[in-house]
Amino acid sequence: MFTRTHYKLERHTIGFAVAIIVVSAIGGLFEIAPLFTIDETVETAPDMRLYTPLELAGRNIYIREGCYACHSQMIRTLRDEVERYGPYSLAVESKYDHPMLWGSKRTGPDLARIGGKYSDAWQVAHLYNPRDVVPQSVMPAYRWLARNKLRTEDLGRHLIAQRRVGVPYTDDMIAHAEQDAKAQVDPDSDNAEGVSERYGEATHVRAFDGNPRDVTEMDALVAYLQILGRLTDAAYQNKDKGE
Amino acid sequence: MISGLTLGERQTAVCLSLALLVLGVIFAGAGQGDPLGVHGFIIAAYAVVVMGAVITGYYAPAPGADRLTQYYDDPTKFGIIVAMLWAIFGMFVGDWVAWLLAYPDMTFDAAWASFGRLRPVHTTGVIFGFGGNALIATSYHVVQRTSRARLPDQLSPWVVLIGYNLFCLLAVSGYLIGITQSKEYAEPEWYADILLVIVWVTYFLLYIRTLARRQEPHIYVANWYYMAFILVVAVLHIVNNLAVPVSLTEAKSYSLFAGVQDAMTQWWYGHNAVAFFLTAGFLGMMYYYLPKRAGRPIYSYRMSIVGFWGITFFYMWAGSHHLHYTALPLWVQNLGMTFSVMLLVPSWIAAGNALMTLNGAWTRVRDDATLRFMAMAAVFYGLSTFEGSFMAIRPVNSLSHYTDWTIGHVHAGTLGWVSMIVFGTFYSLVPWMWKVERMYSRKLVEWHFWLAMAGTLIYVFAMWNSGIIQGLMWRTYNDGGTLAYSFVDSLVAMHPYYIARAVGGFLFFLGPVIGLYNILMTIRLSRETAGTGIAEMPVVALKAGE
Amino acid sequence: MSMPFDHETLVAFSKSFGLFYLIAMSVIAVVYALWPANQAQFDRAAEQIFDDGDTPCQ
Ligand code: HEC
Ligand code: HEM
Ligand code: HEM
Repeated sequence: MFTRTHYKLERHTIGFAVAIIVVSAIGGLFEIAPLFTIDETVETAPDMRLYTPLELAGRNIYIREGCYACHSQMIRTLRDEVERYGPYSLAVESKYDHPMLWGSKRTGPDLARIGGKYSDAWQVAHLYNPRDVVPQSVMPAYRWLARNKLRTEDLGRHLIAQRRVGVPYTDDMIAHAEQDAKAQVDPDSDNAEGVSERYGEATHVRAFDGNPRDVTEMDALVAYLQILGRLTDAAYQNKDKGE
Repeated sequence: MISGLTLGERQTAVCLSLALLVLGVIFAGAGQGDPLGVHGFIIAAYAVVVMGAVITGYYAPAPGADRLTQYYDDPTKFGIIVAMLWAIFGMFVGDWVAWLLAYPDMTFDAAWASFGRLRPVHTTGVIFGFGGNALIATSYHVVQRTSRARLPDQLSPWVVLIGYNLFCLLAVSGYLIGITQSKEYAEPEWYADILLVIVWVTYFLLYIRTLARRQEPHIYVANWYYMAFILVVAVLHIVNNLAVPVSLTEAKSYSLFAGVQDAMTQWWYGHNAVAFFLTAGFLGMMYYYLPKRAGRPIYSYRMSIVGFWGITFFYMWAGSHHLHYTALPLWVQNLGMTFSVMLLVPSWIAAGNALMTLNGAWTRVRDDATLRFMAMAAVFYGLSTFEGSFMAIRPVNSLSHYTDWTIGHVHAGTLGWVSMIVFGTFYSLVPWMWKVERMYSRKLVEWHFWLAMAGTLIYVFAMWNSGIIQGLMWRTYNDGGTLAYSFVDSLVAMHPYYIARAVGGFLFFLGPVIGLYNILMTIRLSRETAGTGIAEMPVVALKAGE
Repeated sequence: MSMPFDHETLVAFSKSFGLFYLIAMSVIAVVYALWPANQAQFDRAAEQIFDDGDTPCQ
């Protein structure tokens, strides 16, 4: 009867919902639980440095444009991959990557070790129109990156959010985020020194797109690409060639 | 549609859309200079449209108590149409990105039109827009019929549908203007994710409230699958989307997890999205509509139960097969591989159960394109799960991973299984819902079937070829012991297959276009014949060649 | 994120208890499906979707 069961949630239904949760989620939890401590299994890399604000902004552009839809950043432990792309990827290398960008499809080549493979000018020309550099390429042309000024005033807040999820940015880095982003493309400016102080001597401080006055999205993305695989040496010390 | 709501529900609906409008205006104001502001305007505009619809129908006579003598099907009807619209949109974009991989300059120097932004528009449009609406619409129909109980109220089914479609809209418009978390199948940002949680809780409560009113002691198995879909998707969604927004006035957020932990969480989510969105929900659909259309009870009810718990349990452990040979610890990879192979058992139980149900009704399958859709769906389900279990074996995955083979597997599942079961279901359901004897044109259903078959086969074979060629070229060594092909060599080899895939995809895309036309004409037919008292559920009486 | 348990402990727990859990669940599901007394309600459920009269019970 309609009235008899009206709004009375009886045992079966709830019990059934609970059973599904128990079987699936709890079952899954046994697999997932060790993953919350998996960072204990990640190699240590004392020399690992953080992304500069400019590189972080570049990473966000990489995400925004969906580069990950065509490019992986995860060299597998297979011999041909190691020979084609370089030493295979270690977990530690993406330990500051919120989120990771390992990717699942290689319409284009892996980019885990692209840093330093080409000059800035090559990267800019390639992003401006890939077919100018590689005629057979099917990669989209990203001309707007050269036109768009990078938004910098919010970078401090980005570093704060990063710190909240566990990336060890210091107060000093957060306070100078915007200044560092501008200075990283302008090696002759007074603030350029500060970038190397905060992020390490090896940090690239140069006009990535050739123009030190404006910080463009192109600057940011190229700065990010040039640091890929270069935040730590750990992988290069590993001589294992893969299966 | 509004005329089905009671006066109180109409008032609540106005209040809810007003609240949504306020939220949109706040976002639009506070998010100025950030993409969030654009979303504020979209939310506000959406709220105005919804409110307009409610107000237009506000003074229609309220439904009497006799509404309780009928099932409440307005939301199902709405869901069917919306699902078809998303199908056309999502598949159009899918075919567009397919052409982009053959002719990359069709981006016209516009950021929104580039491959990386359009690809998630495709995946979200088809999976969540098309698949999700189809699941919600059919679940309302199935749960009422199998419980012999009406939905408990008229408002919450609409809250679910309207809220859910707002989520989809925010998702696809977000990618175009550069808002994305980059997590595959979980791209929308934090505020859209929160919206989906609210929608999903409403959906779950609606579902169990209906089940609780059922007149049968036993819950029919189709509901089990729908319930698993609702519940597990909620858990997955919440865990994988944990993130810290840059601020409450900015769209961007940073995932709580990083690196290997994030990868595992993402693919635990990703694989189970396949399991509980693209599989469990549609199995629910299959377990109701296939027997119904065939006029024969399910071959083995017991098998359907064993299959259910098997799928519910095994899938959860299989996600790591997306991460073979990566920086993920080896034991997790092996665990994923083992469970993926074991998954074949419950998967084939389901596929076999469907096909055995049709045993003895093969002439019907031959003559009725609608039933044939469902039969082919079961075949493709069996095929893609076999392929999946095979690809989960580490050495096989070393070849298939990162290549078009994965894309082939995905579309064997989504075109062959998901789309076909939906189309078969819709062609059965539409005449029941609009109370006509049959679809406007059986010929067009037949056309749709063959377009879908041709499209799927061309697509899948093209991708198998290109994927395997790609995988082999990447690992081939020449006599000197160096890699034989450059990456660009492999790229050039893909070109003909990319064109073939795009052609196949276009054929498939024509299907829902024809389908929507056929559905709309059926609705027109129902308006013309309204009141002539045609049988309400004519399916069992369906004759060959009719 | 670090938790009160160390990784090795959790892995060991997953590998042992997880396996028992799996077996127990499978056994329960199969027993439920094959339990003779349940046959009648399953048969009824399978047929029930063909009940005519497309209206809710009152
Ligand atoms: C449609 C898929 C696609 C998208 C999206 C895409 N790429 Fe590419 N990318 C390719 C292909 C194909 C190649 C190889 C041919 C070439 O060098 O242009 C390539 C090559 C590259 C290379 C050179 C790699 C090497 O080792 O030679 C870099 C660097 C690169 N892409 C960066 C990017 C960035 C950054 C983005 C996002 C802004 C992006 N790609 C988006 C397909 C894509
Ligand atoms: C007209 C039919 C369709 C066409 C032409 C099409 C085309 C495409 C293309 C070109 C891609 C990108 C592949 C790549 O990056 O190399 C893709 C990806 C994808 N499509 Fe489709 N698609 C179609 C229908 C569907 C449907 C109906 C669904 C789901 C219900 C679907 C789900 C997906 C998924 C999940 C991916 C991502 C795969 C991955 O990342 O591995 N597609 N599709
Ligand atoms: C027994 C069942 C299945 C198993 C074991 C399985 C296994 C796999 C494997 C091994 C991959 C490749 C992962 C990689 O190398 O990156 C994959 C990818 C995928 N499968 Fe399946 N599969 C199954 C069923 C299905 C079904 C039925 C569908 C769709 C309806 C489906 C949709 C997908 C999608 C969308 C991806 C691509 C994910 C991505 O990379 O974006 N799978 N599956």
